[in-house]
Amino acid sequence: MHTETWALVTFTILAQTSVGSFIALGVAHYFAVRKSGIEQADKLSDRALLPIGGLLVLGMIASLLHLGQPMYAYRAILNFGNSWLSREIGFGVMFAATGAAFAFLQWRKLSTANVRNAVAVLAAFVGCALVFSMSQVYMTAEAQEGWTTVATPISFFATTVLLGTLALAVAFMINYWIIQRREGPECQAQQCDLLRGAIKWLAVTAIVVLGVELVVSSLQSAYVVSIEDHANLDFLGEYGVLFGVRLALAFVGAGIFGLFMYQASQRPGREKLMAAFAFSAFAFILVAEVLGRVLFYATEIHIGL
Amino acid sequence: MSRQLGFYFNADICIGCKACQIACKDKNHLPMGVLWRRVVNYGGGSWVQSGDIMIPQNVFGYFLSISCNHCEDAPCLHNCPTGAISKNEDGIVLIDDDVCIGCRYCSWVCPYGAPQFNEDDGVMTKCNFCYDLQAEGKNPACVDACPLRAIEFGEIEELRAKHGDVVEIEPLPKREITSPALVIHPHRHAQATGQGTGHILDMEGEI
Repeated sequence: MHTETWALVTFTILAQTSVGSFIALGVAHYFAVRKSGIEQADKLSDRALLPIGGLLVLGMIASLLHLGQPMYAYRAILNFGNSWLSREIGFGVMFAATGAAFAFLQWRKLSTANVRNAVAVLAAFVGCALVFSMSQVYMTAEAQEGWTTVATPISFFATTVLLGTLALAVAFMINYWIIQRREGPECQAQQCDLLRGAIKWLAVTAIVVLGVELVVSSLQSAYVVSIEDHANLDFLGEYGVLFGVRLALAFVGAGIFGLFMYQASQRPGREKLMAAFAFSAFAFILVAEVLGRVLFYATEIHIGL
Repeated sequence: MSRQLGFYFNADICIGCKACQIACKDKNHLPMGVLWRRVVNYGGGSWVQSGDIMIPQNVFGYFLSISCNHCEDAPCLHNCPTGAISKNEDGIVLIDDDVCIGCRYCSWVCPYGAPQFNEDDGVMTKCNFCYDLQAEGKNPACVDACPLRAIEFGEIEELRAKHGDVVEIEPLPKREITSPALVIHPHRHAQATGQGTGHILDMEGEI
């Protein structure tokens, strides 16, 4: 595979993880406020904003590597009115800007909680627009037979949710360690409760979306096999093993480890176990989704010449 | 209605010599791996053995010389994120290489493989209909190079009136995707788009 393709795999995976974890963080924060008040909720979620931003910035830097003229990358937003690729980059920049604005307000506790929430909701919508635009870049390319199905947006959003929820689970576990190291193992009952609740729902979300992903990616590969004849592609011959490995890793990651995360979150005192399962689930899903994206680019089936 | 230049290609007399392809490459100083006009060899069929002789079974083959078709609904133009691609007053689709950032998206969305990446300059390039030669009253390089006179150019409506309106020939895509400014006189063994039994026979890297 070419460097340019790896650049796109890296960009799409990182940006989708960033959007997914930002939205999951917002939902987790909302319920945490209702359960334990704003101070505890902020303590649970504030630190996670930094890696979410970092992922997006890394992804956008990676996207430059597929350009012939990376110094002039800013021009990619000039045709926003017509080009989905332009919208992808435009919404990427806007997501970075609104997300950063929210993080700044949130860390400094500037303005009111309502205003901060409004900025966060705006950023979340821009993030969704980013993932949707990403999918339309491929789905509307009529010369590409392998990408112009509804499986493209569904699988992009599935990746967003799977990687977003599980990356956030990891971030929450790390955050909990940091709090414990700073404030001692005691008096963390409230944080521990919030953590367990968050891990539980992140695991449930990942398991549900895993189901969607397994069905859609299987149907999509059946479709690719049905059209590959005139495309000089032997999908199952060349990529069948990779496809199987990808499904297995996703199943183990979000299915098995997701279930373990859920189980471990049921009673207090199992934080270490919960952390081990969250890290494993994320690692498996990360590899599975990267393989899935590599397979996606491998099904570039150009009609015509 | 504004002017729209297009090409006419007579597949029935083309012998696949690639003079057009080479004339284009020479005139436009194209680097390795970049061909603004490409001669595609499409064919199929098989042979069965009967005793000592091999009997052909629907064996056929023909050539298509295809460049950018300066489509009326050009997906490269709509999809270019920088707006570097435009149509001029003659309907010629042009890439402004001062604006192009080399993202290659136009090559993904073009079903004729017209936009191609120039590694040396880091930008996309494509057939410009030799507009510089046309400004001097000359023909595009490919038109003049063809020893069979299989390529013509002109106002697309005039070409259609003169030669008909066929463009859906394998391995070319359906007209509806881009509305190409192209007219083809099909080879006598030509297969319609979507009903092809053959394959592109050129070697990898040849086109």
